Amino acid sequence: MEICQPFLVFLQQHLREAVKKKILVANRGEIAIRLIRAIQELDCTAVAVYEKPDERSRHIRLADEAVLLGNGPRCDYLNIRKIIAAAKHTGADAIHPGYGFLAENPGFAKACEEEGIIFIGPSSKVIADLGNKVVARQIMADAGIPMVPGTKNLPHGEEGLQNAIEFGRKYGYPVMLKATSGGGGRGIRRIDTEDQLVNEIPVARAEAKAAFNDDSVYLEKVVLEPKHVEVQIIADKTGKTLHLGTRDCSIQRRNQKLIELAPSRVANPELLEEICQTAVKAAKAANYFNAGTVEFLIDKDLNYYFMEINTRIQVEHTVTEMVTGIDIVRNQIKLAFGYELSFGQEDVQIRGHAIEMRINAEDPKNNFMPEGGKKVSVYRSTGGFGVRLDGFVYQGYEIPEVYDSLLVKLTVHGFTWDETVGRVKRCLKNFAIVGPKTTIPFYLRIVDDPDFIKGDFNTSYLDTHPHLFHYEESIGEAGKLAKFIAEIHHRGENPFAS
Amino acid sequence: MERIYQGTSAARAIQQLRQAKGYYITNTARDLSQSDFKNRILLHTDLLAAEARDRAGYYSLEITGGASVHVDMMRKQVNPFKKLKLLRERMPNTMFQTLCRGVNLFGYRPYPQNVIRFTVQEFAKYVDVWRTFDFLNHVPNMQAVLEEVALAGKINEPCICFSTGPEHTNEFYLKKVQEIIDVTGTDIVLCIKNHGGLGSPRRIGELVDAIKQRFADLVIHYHGHNTDGNDVGRIVEAVINGATIVDAADSAFTGFYGPPPILTVIHALKEYDKVAIGIDEEAVIETSNILGDQRKYYDQFESQIKGFQPTVQIHKLPGGAMGSSLEQASKGGFLAKMPEILHKELPRVQKELGNFWSVTPGSQILWTTAVANVQGGERYGNPSGDLKNLLLGKYGPFPFYQPEEWIYEKVLGENWRQVLEEEGGLEDIPDMDLAEERANLHEKLGREPNREELVLYLQHPKDAIDFIKFSEEYGMTHVLPPSIFFKQGGFEIGETLYFTDTAGKEHIVEIGPSPTVDTGETAVYLTVDHYPRVYNFAPLETAGTNGKKVVLTKEEIMDLAMAGDVRAGFAGNLVEISVKEGQEVKKGDRVAVMEAMKMQTPVTCEIDGIVTAISAKSGQAMQTGDKILKIDQDI
Repeated sequence: MEICQPFLVFLQQHLREAVKKKILVANRGEIAIRLIRAIQELDCTAVAVYEKPDERSRHIRLADEAVLLGNGPRCDYLNIRKIIAAAKHTGADAIHPGYGFLAENPGFAKACEEEGIIFIGPSSKVIADLGNKVVARQIMADAGIPMVPGTKNLPHGEEGLQNAIEFGRKYGYPVMLKATSGGGGRGIRRIDTEDQLVNEIPVARAEAKAAFNDDSVYLEKVVLEPKHVEVQIIADKTGKTLHLGTRDCSIQRRNQKLIELAPSRVANPELLEEICQTAVKAAKAANYFNAGTVEFLIDKDLNYYFMEINTRIQVEHTVTEMVTGIDIVRNQIKLAFGYELSFGQEDVQIRGHAIEMRINAEDPKNNFMPEGGKKVSVYRSTGGFGVRLDGFVYQGYEIPEVYDSLLVKLTVHGFTWDETVGRVKRCLKNFAIVGPKTTIPFYLRIVDDPDFIKGDFNTSYLDTHPHLFHYEESIGEAGKLAKFIAEIHHRGENPFAS
Repeated sequence: MERIYQGTSAARAIQQLRQAKGYYITNTARDLSQSDFKNRILLHTDLLAAEARDRAGYYSLEITGGASVHVDMMRKQVNPFKKLKLLRERMPNTMFQTLCRGVNLFGYRPYPQNVIRFTVQEFAKYVDVWRTFDFLNHVPNMQAVLEEVALAGKINEPCICFSTGPEHTNEFYLKKVQEIIDVTGTDIVLCIKNHGGLGSPRRIGELVDAIKQRFADLVIHYHGHNTDGNDVGRIVEAVINGATIVDAADSAFTGFYGPPPILTVIHALKEYDKVAIGIDEEAVIETSNILGDQRKYYDQFESQIKGFQPTVQIHKLPGGAMGSSLEQASKGGFLAKMPEILHKELPRVQKELGNFWSVTPGSQILWTTAVANVQGGERYGNPSGDLKNLLLGKYGPFPFYQPEEWIYEKVLGENWRQVLEEEGGLEDIPDMDLAEERANLHEKLGREPNREELVLYLQHPKDAIDFIKFSEEYGMTHVLPPSIFFKQGGFEIGETLYFTDTAGKEHIVEIGPSPTVDTGETAVYLTVDHYPRVYNFAPLETAGTNGKKVVLTKEEIMDLAMAGDVRAGFAGNLVEISVKEGQEVKKGDRVAVMEAMKMQTPVTCEIDGIVTAISAKSGQAMQTGDKILKIDQDI
């Protein structure tokens, strides 16, 4: 009987954990595989969907079932009707949207809700609220979350001008002069001096009037060379909201992240703790449910400002998983099926450091031009202690031109920062990818850069370190010699010796 | 008596040599490779032998210089400096020796003084013994090298080049030794450079004795070739009469034109109670045991004609030029004419041109002239640029007598006296702007070159760049064994190849299939260190530097020439286009000059006609069958 007791506990736990559902993965590439793995680990059935150009994709082979959506490209992964139909056809209980495509489309979440399919993520209302900058800003302002300082709409005439000048003097230049009805980068101008400000306000108003039929404008401080720090949050339906620590995603090109790490290297634990608490507060203010990310900017003087909340799983969630040991995707699924969080904030311990590098088929020297359309003629990856790979390419795979260029995410975990940097460097060297150019040789320069090693970087890192782009593409010494052997073999003699 | 270890100062080493009771041996590995294997013995092979050779206790290992600097880069794809560094790591005890052609350094034409000095300074970092010669025994041509070697604290070994004939008397050579000593003093090693292996043992003995009688203090190094099979005899006489150092080579690789086997020399001299100082005979034997297995990979580079050449006493070609001359005759299709060239024309040309020493670049001038005289019909009708320069005195004065006037007239033209008056005499070559050359090289490499790369570039600009670019693409190919490097006919599918990298780690390459894909490309599949790789190659027909490469046979090239389409008969550099468009030419006229290795060969036309198109430029690298120019018969 004593032997049976632990078994019984195990059985109960197992039954409690077992979801036994069918889940459709509305995505492609590495994230589709990441989701399928979590689904299968929960003993659930994974349904893949795909477009024609993706028919050689590995996620189809790994899933339990797969549905061809159409010829694409991209439009079928974005087609709510088709995906809902695929879910109904296969009898899926739930849909995980991954990132990108429909992940932050409130209409998709709403369609799921209406069709009785569980959407693995927050409610359509939360997605809609947080996706709208004005609404999101208002919610955060009401909750007292620190925001990038700005004025309200500037009154017309002398009063507005005076307000603007005061703001400029208080916060310093540059500032952004923004049209209230603008968006998507339109109606924004950078102002570097007070004189310029005085001159530009009437011009901006006239322009806004013409463009948006609304001449209201306001000012916002420019945060120069900020660090991009974000907090992973997770919340269940009871309102229990926890944070899983910080990530730094400052190393970006054209606002697209390349390298992410956890926790942030800001050497101020009190500040990081405060940011985490703020993130939880922000999430609660938005009635957040499921996993999400609260993004902040930190300036040189360690002031931090709320940026936005991403209502989905992030590419870089792996670093958080590595340092906390918590499987975020697994928890997302369970939360979506109504389970409560089985751990508390005190159970979330950050151990060591993690770095993720996005190995993209891109040519960094050529403005990160994608290398789609090329065949991966050699693919050798890495392994060993503290190493995690989330990828989907294989030797012989032809990279479709119509999707993004991410091949594999290399995530490593180490007890100390130095150990982690050493490990990621070793892993990068282990890789051999022949066919497309990749970001690997570029990253190999970064891991040797003293500023990176010190953790001294912000979003201007690539612009301020142009020497990182001076690297050699190399197939390695053995690869070069093998090429020479191939030449001798092919020609039937050494053409250089005769 | 002790061996002389690398690191011993030059002064101390010469002191030790003067007091030697016995003789020392130089392992002449480079000269062996050049004479009997067209300079192709790979660094890989020398590295295999390095440890045993270091134990063997030689005075020096002659491993660089001569044509090897050029061939290292051009045909063996190894950096001549890197070679010395790697050998030094495995041979800490043995001095390294070079062969330097004075103003011509390791090339075939005089270099500017500042290039000579810079080159010697860089090589002197690795080379302990500097054997320097001039093919006219014109001592001023050696002066810059002698000075720089002394400044670098290395051992100077100036040569008197040796030959035979009525002018080659002891008196003459004693005068030359005095000229050398006037420049260097007696703290040198004097080399008797018998590059042809000429003269009888007795003649060599007499010469050594005469020098020792006059200059008792002088250390003599006898260098000979075994072309007639009798160099051991000459070595024995040299040592008995007072030579302190002699040249020989590892028996595993000895052939017909290089130095004789070391062990044979040791055994012969034992009979005369002469001890080989510092020599560990076991290590000498061990070296050849190691090398024995490797010789088979070098088959293709051994001479087409087997056997000793006692007729060298007639034609006097140096051992170092025998292999390449025979190769040229074979590739040029005139092997059958060799007896006429070697035994009739060459001795005649020698005599006509002043009986100077047949050694680089003089041997090439004699050879090219003799070949042209036999092949071209009219004697001296197609003189090479080098022959012109010789007559103009650009290399130095004739040592004994000048050629007859009719030769001057043939070579320099009717107004040869005026040409000689205006252009004659030693060339005063202006210094090069080294900073500018460095900038040029920087531009060509797309990065800053190091000093050694600049030295190589100054020697052979095009070949140095080709080599550096080759290494960037294919890596350090010197780690590949000759079984891979010289493989003919491709490997077997499934064959496993092994090589060890510079760090000592072994790599495995398995040969997979090589299918041709739709585009015409061939995909070569290899498994490299357990991982598959594929290398794609464009179809062979479209490869090559001059657009569409058509490999033509000798007969096809001849047929084309008969139709006025003049092509390169072999791969090499086009040195000169001798005619202009629109010029009238007659059958047998020289229209261009090609150079392969260091041999210049005139290209003559087969028909009368007018030059209508010139498709190549002088200085251009040509492949066999590349177009040079076109002659039309009926215009």
